[in-house]
Amino acid sequence: MNYVPGTASLIDDIDKKHLVLLRDGRTLIGYLRSIDQFANLVFHQTVERIHVGKKFGDIPRGIFIVRGENVVLLGEIDVDKPCDTLLQQVSIEEILEEQRLQQQAKQETEKVKMQVLKDRGLSIPKADNLDEY
Amino acid sequence: MDCGLLQAMAEEDEEINVYNEETFGMDLDTHGTTEVPNNGLLQFGELPSPPPPPPPPTPPLDPKPPSRHSSPSPPRQRPQYFPRAPPGQRGRGRGQRGGLGRGQMFEDPAVVRIVQGRPSIKVMHIYSLCEFRQLSSAARLHFDVFLVFKGLDSAIVDCGNAMYQNSFEDDMHSFTVPGSPINLRQPLTPRQHYNQVYTKMDQTCSDALKPIVNVLAKNSVDLLVSVVTNDTGGFMFPMNRPCPSTPQSLTPKMMQLRFGANSPRPSPFYSPSSNSVQHFRKPEGWDPYCNLMTAKEKEWITRLQMIQLQSEHPYLEDYYYQEYYRRIEAKMAEEELGIRGKREPPKLTTPYIMKSDSYTPVVHIEGSLGQVAVSTCYSPRRAISAVNAVQAQCPLEVIVFLRHLASRKCINLPDTDTDTHFHITGTKRHQTTALFIVLLEVEETERMKTTVLSEEEERRLMEKTQKKVEHIYSQLQHHDPLDSGGEFLPFLLVSKGKRLVARLLPFLKHDTALKILRIVTCNLPTLMSRDTEEALPVLYPSLRNVIGGLTFSQLIGLIKDLTFESLTTSESLTLACQNKFGLSLLYALLSQGEKLLSSGVPLEPSIGDFETWTDTIFQVAGQLSQCSLVEPLLLPSNLLTLFCRYLDKRTLHQLKSNME
Repeated sequence: MNYVPGTASLIDDIDKKHLVLLRDGRTLIGYLRSIDQFANLVFHQTVERIHVGKKFGDIPRGIFIVRGENVVLLGEIDVDKPCDTLLQQVSIEEILEEQRLQQQAKQETEKVKMQVLKDRGLSIPKADNLDEY
Repeated sequence: MDCGLLQAMAEEDEEINVYNEETFGMDLDTHGTTEVPNNGLLQFGELPSPPPPPPPPTPPLDPKPPSRHSSPSPPRQRPQYFPRAPPGQRGRGRGQRGGLGRGQMFEDPAVVRIVQGRPSIKVMHIYSLCEFRQLSSAARLHFDVFLVFKGLDSAIVDCGNAMYQNSFEDDMHSFTVPGSPINLRQPLTPRQHYNQVYTKMDQTCSDALKPIVNVLAKNSVDLLVSVVTNDTGGFMFPMNRPCPSTPQSLTPKMMQLRFGANSPRPSPFYSPSSNSVQHFRKPEGWDPYCNLMTAKEKEWITRLQMIQLQSEHPYLEDYYYQEYYRRIEAKMAEEELGIRGKREPPKLTTPYIMKSDSYTPVVHIEGSLGQVAVSTCYSPRRAISAVNAVQAQCPLEVIVFLRHLASRKCINLPDTDTDTHFHITGTKRHQTTALFIVLLEVEETERMKTTVLSEEEERRLMEKTQKKVEHIYSQLQHHDPLDSGGEFLPFLLVSKGKRLVARLLPFLKHDTALKILRIVTCNLPTLMSRDTEEALPVLYPSLRNVIGGLTFSQLIGLIKDLTFESLTTSESLTLACQNKFGLSLLYALLSQGEKLLSSGVPLEPSIGDFETWTDTIFQVAGQLSQCSLVEPLLLPSNLLTLFCRYLDKRTLHQLKSNME
């Protein structure tokens, strides 16, 4: 029951399973237990899901409190719907390893790109610094 | 003798300890620490398969445990009170725990495991230490809190362990010596409790337990809390129940036991991580952690959000929601035209706060130099703004002059985003926007007039409105000499300016409105040709009203302007015919003339007026019958009667067919 008709509210989402994407890129899945006026979220039985390519791994995290400003998006998960068969679940170690490799590859391409740009006298500021301004 | 007795007592206690540890698993594990395994919950009938290593200080008791097992000792007989699960299930419980060592259970509180246990009846011991102290002696003897869960698919709510951890040690003030008479005034450890309960129980209390047994035997579904005790036994963890509206309130002690390291283990059943692998489905409405957020809290948040929504000018401040709501209502009304009992779309009812008639947002004491020190929500301190201070003091003309200078770059004026009066940009659009805001204020004040009760208020509001209107008017009038065109024209060329003028016109006095009308008619060709966005029609309604108040001579003057200015008569007329607005304006003028003539009111015409009038009629009629006409915005009803009087039948007929 929406207490505030005609508007969007997180109250209807309480006690349901959600997926939240945070600003730092993490994906958390858990049961939304509590909210407040700033959309700070309390997640229960949280699992951090890491995706690398077609593989993913779940790291159980317990109870999470997310500050509202760090949420990019939040969506309810349909527990009845059959799970995605395209993605393959792997162990935590494996997915962390995959992630590390991915990060490494990315860093290397980034390095090469910066070098190329530098040679041409251009510079593009890194996105993570921009956020602070 | 005493020694022997003491020793015997000590031995007995140790035996009891051993028994307890065996049964309830509170023994030293392979890890060397005291840990409680997953089945720390009482699961009667299930015995740990490997005999636990005996506690180090009691080697002589080694043979004892087996003997105790075989002896018809009371603790061992206890399980028979409780219905046993079907053998298959029991075995299953044991087997499926394979792979999970006891030690692993408590390494990481957040780690969630899938454990399957006895499915049918799970009995758990719950008690709150503080409550326990309050219980009467008799009650304690019989004290056993049983929670009987509905038999559900393979789930253990692994909750009982928390109580066995460290928190209890903290609360221990004293440790009763095992074997001593039951000291009911002192808090007991769980072990001691068990000691007492189960020894006593078997000895004396079997009768008391029978009711419990019967209930269990019936496999009742409901919560069965302390059948023989009072009901204040606190709950240690969220219950297995269909989500009630509010959970029990927790005392601080209970909170300690509930959270942090002592938190009840989450049910592995619900782990999101397990879903992908096992496709578990949680039974409908069964969530032991539901309603952590109480209805009161939800309501609080909703109320908070609603308070932020309430306002006295909803269409101004929350336009999109109001528009959305209006459309929904319209749609519903449409749908239910035939259906009785219109159901209204759910209304957003914001908490209503009674506001006083005259609400002065900023408290200012007359003659004071500074501001009030204390500010509240309803009377905040005004933020210091130098520009506003200037505005408050300078007359309007000075401000206009300053702006003029600024636009010529002679001086620099502070440019603040918030103060629209001083928004310095060159384009007419920006200026129009600034003026629009003032106009909105004017309109708002007009609307507020209906709600205002006192005359004083009304007068004050009128003054305010007038001032603003004059300001806008002067702004529109004032033009940059570098600009081509006369007064008002630059604004009228912009569609926003047209809208502004249209909305301003009702507020202007007749003379000033007439002036604007003149300008429109004089520059009609220019306006029409440059009206790419087809915004001219917005002017029509307001102008029509102005026309409605014209005298005959004023009207004639306008007609002259319309037909003789800039272009030749026929050309301008043709243009007018082609343009919706132009044609409508023409019609309006003619209609007004006809109205005046036929009304019988003395017209006081100037010399040559009637001639001009008749000339115009003929000209217009001729033009209208020849060229193709567009659909006018409004076709006045008395036009045809007008033409009837002056024209012959043929022309009239042609005209008629053309106009339709």
